[in-house]
Amino acid sequence: MNTIVALSTPRGRGALAVIRLSGPEAIAIAQRLGGLEEVDPRRAILTQLRRPSDNELLDQVLLTCFPSPHSLTGEDVVEISCHGSPAVVRNIIDTTLALGAVLAGPGEFTLRALSNGKINLAQAEAIRDLIAAQTDAAVKQASRQLNGELSNALAPLKERLLEVIVLLESAVEFVEEDIPAVKADEIESELGEVGAGIAKLSESYSAGRLLQEGIRVTISGRPNVGKSSLFNSLVRRERAIVTDIPGTTRDTLSETIDLEGIPVILTDTAGLRETTEHIETLGIERTRRALGDSDLVLVVLDGSSEPGPADRDLLDQTSDARRLIVLNKSDLPSFNGAACCGELEAINVSARTGEGLPSLRAAILATMNSKGMEDGSLLITNARHYELLCRAEREIGVAQNALRDRHSEELVLAPLHNALRLLGQITGETTTEDILSEIFATFCIGK
Amino acid sequence: MSFDERFDVIVIGAGHAGCEAASAAARLGAETGLITLNLDLVGQMSCNPAIGGIAKGHLVREIDALGGIMGRVIDRTGIQFRLLNRSRGPAVQSPRAQADRMKYRAEMRRTLEATSNLHLRQGKVVDFVLDRGTMAGVVLEDGRQFGAQAVVVATGTFLNGLIHTGRRTYSGGRAGEPAAIELSETLKRLGFPVGRLKTGTPPRLDGRTIDWNAFEPQPGDRVPVPFSFSTDALEQKQIHCFIGYTTTQVHDAIRQNITESPLYSGKIRGVGPRYCPSIEDKVVKFSDKSRHQLFLEPEGHDTNEVYLNGFSTSLPAELQQDLVRMIPGMEEAKIIRPGYAIEYDFVDPRELGPDLQTARVPGLFHAGQINGTTGYEEAACQGLLAGINAALYTQQRESVRLRREESYIGVLVEDLIKQGVDEPYRIFTSRAEYRLALRYDNADERLERYGRELGLVGDSDWERFNSRQERLAKLRTALDEIRLRRSDAQHAAVSALIGADLGDSISLSQLAKRPKVTAELIMSLLPSELKPVTESDLNSVLADSLYAGYLESQKATIARLYQHDALRIPRGMAFRGISGLSNEIVERLDRAQPQTFGEARRLPGLTPGALSTLLVYLSAQQNQRKSV
Repeated sequence: MNTIVALSTPRGRGALAVIRLSGPEAIAIAQRLGGLEEVDPRRAILTQLRRPSDNELLDQVLLTCFPSPHSLTGEDVVEISCHGSPAVVRNIIDTTLALGAVLAGPGEFTLRALSNGKINLAQAEAIRDLIAAQTDAAVKQASRQLNGELSNALAPLKERLLEVIVLLESAVEFVEEDIPAVKADEIESELGEVGAGIAKLSESYSAGRLLQEGIRVTISGRPNVGKSSLFNSLVRRERAIVTDIPGTTRDTLSETIDLEGIPVILTDTAGLRETTEHIETLGIERTRRALGDSDLVLVVLDGSSEPGPADRDLLDQTSDARRLIVLNKSDLPSFNGAACCGELEAINVSARTGEGLPSLRAAILATMNSKGMEDGSLLITNARHYELLCRAEREIGVAQNALRDRHSEELVLAPLHNALRLLGQITGETTTEDILSEIFATFCIGK
Repeated sequence: MSFDERFDVIVIGAGHAGCEAASAAARLGAETGLITLNLDLVGQMSCNPAIGGIAKGHLVREIDALGGIMGRVIDRTGIQFRLLNRSRGPAVQSPRAQADRMKYRAEMRRTLEATSNLHLRQGKVVDFVLDRGTMAGVVLEDGRQFGAQAVVVATGTFLNGLIHTGRRTYSGGRAGEPAAIELSETLKRLGFPVGRLKTGTPPRLDGRTIDWNAFEPQPGDRVPVPFSFSTDALEQKQIHCFIGYTTTQVHDAIRQNITESPLYSGKIRGVGPRYCPSIEDKVVKFSDKSRHQLFLEPEGHDTNEVYLNGFSTSLPAELQQDLVRMIPGMEEAKIIRPGYAIEYDFVDPRELGPDLQTARVPGLFHAGQINGTTGYEEAACQGLLAGINAALYTQQRESVRLRREESYIGVLVEDLIKQGVDEPYRIFTSRAEYRLALRYDNADERLERYGRELGLVGDSDWERFNSRQERLAKLRTALDEIRLRRSDAQHAAVSALIGADLGDSISLSQLAKRPKVTAELIMSLLPSELKPVTESDLNSVLADSLYAGYLESQKATIARLYQHDALRIPRGMAFRGISGLSNEIVERLDRAQPQTFGEARRLPGLTPGALSTLLVYLSAQQNQRKSV
């Protein structure tokens, strides 16, 4: 039995998020993450999680271990309460994956709880009713998916894959018949295209994830260039998505705004830095991390004055990052845009009057266009789909190698059948045994 | 009840299913009556005179490993042997042989008559005798009644058979033989869902009227591969088959007369096999093809009869004669027996358990075409399984079932009983998810143990099996240990041959996996103290290592699929109490009384939804028991 991991709270931004691990390695993984020699059962421990590979600080969290059998699933379970930022959650989950955990399939926690007898008869009855109800929903969902974009994108790929399989199978099964010989080079190029098609979809995951979790845009700049006013006027003008309880983020000010359907998480690195002495040091650290975590940095300069050393430092620091240079205070008479940053392209805005904000907005969106979001092309947003696509792509690679090595058809076919099965798990066309898991999959992940 | 004769097991029909069933039941110690309409036609090949082919040859090997008889009989009577797919990997290679049709029948009958406890009876079964719903015996048309606790129905196309040639139709089980109409009525009366299928056969020609020079000879293998693991040498003189082609003239004539075909005039309702189409179908559905391939298969040493494979037809007999004469080389050819189509009844195989017993009537087993299959090999393997289980049933012993991961027989049976059929079911290698593990050459490794445990595999065969396993193990070790080093004389030559440097040292088993490396090459690299090594032993070992990686990951998959199988179902479990299960499912569970979730999972007709409900329920109950 492997160790599974999943986010147990709803996706998106919140004050807190709970990540759950279950399986024989759960506690060992938690100990490595939290640098803990020992853990007391069922006692919350305040600890910092670090990535073992580079000792990078991931978050400060509350971690609770529930050794088997007294746990949700009956296995060793660890619950990590971390800060509710998608980036933090993703980093922690990615790190547990690197330490040997695997992403939980939908409903897998429930299935394990059932298998280990952790749910009693009454609960099971209730769950069974739920299954009955959810099956309808699953059918609807499957058919919606079948009519949906991803299926439409996959359908021709699957069809071509099937054609190749049919060609190879016929060669194997009907050797006595008068059928044209299989042309290896044609099949090779066909598989190449199918593989490329799948790769294109799976590569869209990075953009798709941005679309789902939001583009992280950090506003940075030395004090008094108008970061906060820029932040505020962007938030004011654009519809804020999250109307959260204030103070959900402790250190930086973040708001998620909707830019033409794309969620943008704006983070103002100012905020706390300019308040108290103690937090300032922490703030600098946070700022640096926020910059590293960002999909886009807005480097804000005061266009009404000459850039100082702090500005130049910042420009240097962010030269490798995806960034936009914003010259604020275009409403002031002393504004002298272009002069400040020489060759570098900049956008002139006035946070106070709103002048130039549409251009800034367009520029933010434009930077994301290069990530494949432009023509409304299909993006993979679901981690499970991403994983399946990657595996299918690998299987096709195995088949291509077998073909190139002039192996017999059955060795080419074995991975191709796997690839078809994997793609089938996305579009809902699955085998009977898979359907069993599918039904459990109508449960929300990690619940 | 008073019976004229009493048996433990009765088998109805002495075709390929019936013969295996009767032989197996008798050798398991059951007094077995084999009842057939015509004792001179035991083991008759109704269609083409050949056994084996891709996947079908696998089935025959599996039958042989389990202790069945088909492989031995064809080895003694085969007149042309070919291993198909020789150029491909070992998993998809399969033996095929042309049979001497008359010798096959005679040898089959001889084999049956040499079997103790086996009693041949001629007659026509018209009804069953049931005792409180359980099988008790059969009633014959001539009034005799035979008692038996278990009955295997293996009636082939005889069940309500209807023969078509052109617009003429007549009742029959095969050309010139009566159909079994009453038995079909009996099955319907008992409530079995009965459907209709169709198959067909081509005309047989007088070989003396064929210009053989016009056809391309197709010789058998120089070194034939027999079917039975026990066969050392073949007995029959080997012959050639011949290949020819139809012409557009033939196609045009068929098209002009297509309304004469019962297939196209709407007279035939039964569904035929897509992979074995009639010549009418080929011409209509593949109208762009200018020719279709034909095989001329001599039917035996002692006859001039030639089977025109590829020309299955139900067109009027006189038209068949005209069409045949349009084929180049057949200008003077005369038809001995015209081709025909036949419709027959089959019973929905979802009525069956994995032991091929019907759930509806305890003691009643179905095997062969009655289950919707086509093919001698498909029939024979079901007959073997049904015969074994019928005997075990009468001895109150646990039934035998084969898993799809371990055998093509398991694949076939599970497909039948879980999915049912909507056209005649034929085995293909692609039906097996575990194709790479199910090779013709390792059928013994997979199944011989079962045959031995049952008592179907005799001492000498068991000894032969064990000594082969020992040889393979020794060879396997040798291939892993023997290395080809740069200092070896052959290193450079082998590198040059495969067009890549082999590195400083490579084991022979690693080398064997490289492209372009043949078994002959490996053989030549084996040190002389290991020899003699047979080609077949070496091939088996190399096949194991070729597929090892794939099989490893397959094992993991299987383990994941069946992880809940061990979950126990309490004895006397009230399935009706589980809300969410349909009445039909509850009935199936009540009848079968599975003891584990794995057994329930393998039951026919259990939907994935029902299985998940059961799984949830069982898991929860288990927990409740723990906490009580």
